[in-house]
Amino acid sequence: MKFCFFHLMPFTGVKEVTPEWPTPNRMFDPSRAHELYRDYVDTMVYAERCGFDWVGCNEHHFSPYGLMANCNLIGGALAYPTKKIRIAMMGNLVPLNNPVRVAEEYAMLDCMSGGRLVAGLMRGIPHEYIAYNIPPDASWSRQREAIALILKAWTEPEPFGWEGEHFQFRQVSIWPRPLQKPHPPLVISASSLESARFAGEMRATMGMVLISDLALAKECIQVYRDAARAAGWEPTPDHILIGMHTVIAETDDEAKDALREARKYFDRVLMGGMRTAGRLVLQKTRYYQDEANRGRMQNRLAKREAATLEEQIAGGMVLCGSPESVVQQIRRIHSELGNGIFNFTMKVGDLPDAVVRRGMELFRDRVAPHVRHL
Amino acid sequence: MRVEKRGSGRPLVYLHPAGGVRWTAVLERLARTRTLHVPTFPGFDGTETEEKVTSRQGLAQRVGDYIEKNIGTACDVMGCSFGGAVALWLALERPRLVDHLVLECPGGLQTIDPALRKNPHAFYKALFAHPEKIAYEKKPEDIEARNRAMLAHYGAEDGMDSKLPQSLDRIRAITLVLHGTEDRIIQAETMRLLKSRLPRAFLVYVWDAAHSIEVDQPERMSAVVESFLERSEAFVVPYA
Repeated sequence: MKFCFFHLMPFTGVKEVTPEWPTPNRMFDPSRAHELYRDYVDTMVYAERCGFDWVGCNEHHFSPYGLMANCNLIGGALAYPTKKIRIAMMGNLVPLNNPVRVAEEYAMLDCMSGGRLVAGLMRGIPHEYIAYNIPPDASWSRQREAIALILKAWTEPEPFGWEGEHFQFRQVSIWPRPLQKPHPPLVISASSLESARFAGEMRATMGMVLISDLALAKECIQVYRDAARAAGWEPTPDHILIGMHTVIAETDDEAKDALREARKYFDRVLMGGMRTAGRLVLQKTRYYQDEANRGRMQNRLAKREAATLEEQIAGGMVLCGSPESVVQQIRRIHSELGNGIFNFTMKVGDLPDAVVRRGMELFRDRVAPHVRHL
Repeated sequence: MRVEKRGSGRPLVYLHPAGGVRWTAVLERLARTRTLHVPTFPGFDGTETEEKVTSRQGLAQRVGDYIEKNIGTACDVMGCSFGGAVALWLALERPRLVDHLVLECPGGLQTIDPALRKNPHAFYKALFAHPEKIAYEKKPEDIEARNRAMLAHYGAEDGMDSKLPQSLDRIRAITLVLHGTEDRIIQAETMRLLKSRLPRAFLVYVWDAAHSIEVDQPERMSAVVESFLERSEAFVVPYA
């Protein structure tokens, strides 16, 4: 079993609660951000010493939810202070960006880190499309084409041009190319049936977050496996990544209290504007292609929000408790889903960094030794 | 050799694939600004073979004779698949007749997967990513069968033309190579070889197109070809 320490880099300390999106940046304090970036990067570097196999982050825009408009900058900051841990960009929002630029920056990170990049190629969450003025209706066709172009840019030894629906380039020949051959391993979000199918077709590791119940998660994994077989390959457990909020403390009560408190900030401040924008995009576009997919996603989110913390723990939606409890929770989820990677978001909302670090140490000392072999 | 001419403007000789001549949307669009000369290779589309012409190299000589006699100067040449191999031979052996060279997934440089050749259904899928876009009329079955038989007549049954790859670096014409990202007949490796061996070549992948780029993505293909023919090397520079 492998473990990823994932960081959203939330902006903490916002007092005002607003449903607006974008979140007005009058609430942003650059000097606070200066401190947060330093602390967060230090914590991510510390993940290597806590026995994590991957350290990850991702891209978000226009809100305190995450401070990484370009997570590759953080990847660069992690490349030299770390030695062995894989640097997982999970990832760049491919449909929103210039695919050649994504290919170049990922290739830089792979070379800088000595071949430790895990390349997340994500479609993003709906409201990000407003930020970059990209029609959400085109998200799938942009995603498919952009990934094909990125793979071509990584693997093509001769200059080439690209004449596509969304992207046109007459000459591409990126410097550097990635160190890993034929290219860095891919992670593609697979939290819906359609995205799970796509991840299988693309020979990528499937990344699942926002699990609402394990039966639905199993269904996505089965779709992924079927698509992979149809594409001529067989996924291993290491190709299945399950991500969730994770709080580990000395006791169950301590962990639950900390998560409940941190979730208030997460739900009210970090998610406030995003819900507004997300609803708008989902109502007015074909982001989820059809009504069935849209309905499934909305039901899933509603189910998560309606569940108590105890129900979320029991349902495999979060990992929370003492080290011994988290070991049991990990074993249970692994036995149900057969995943080979857990993605821990341990900085939940405004959970104090000291609590996050203590949780990382408890993971190293009292969780990992009991589940590493799985 | 039968030759059909359409349009007006600078001459462009189009050399057809193994399926024979088809007036696709790409050719129709090119004919708006150019005089298209479209020969039917002897034996294709119900025509008679010519006794002394039995190879793609020989067809190139035949096309070269036509250009000298009827156009009289260097002209742009575009070849598709089987016709791409003929165009390569023309650029090799009659270089002063070829100005711009456009190669649409050219043949002659690799063998075609035998399993694919034996399976008509799989071959059809390899030809078209979007068969619903086929706009030309289907040819009678006897003509199609005869066209297929011409591959053996011209020594092209397995796709390979063994003398062609070793001569590529002698081609001096500025060349545009087009390859469909879904092409399972001609491999991307072959296009890379071509790009690396031709001294003045540009390789462009056409997204969401199989072997028949003209059918699958006519607008995209036309835009690239027109830009290349009009602007030569400068076609790589974006313009408003």
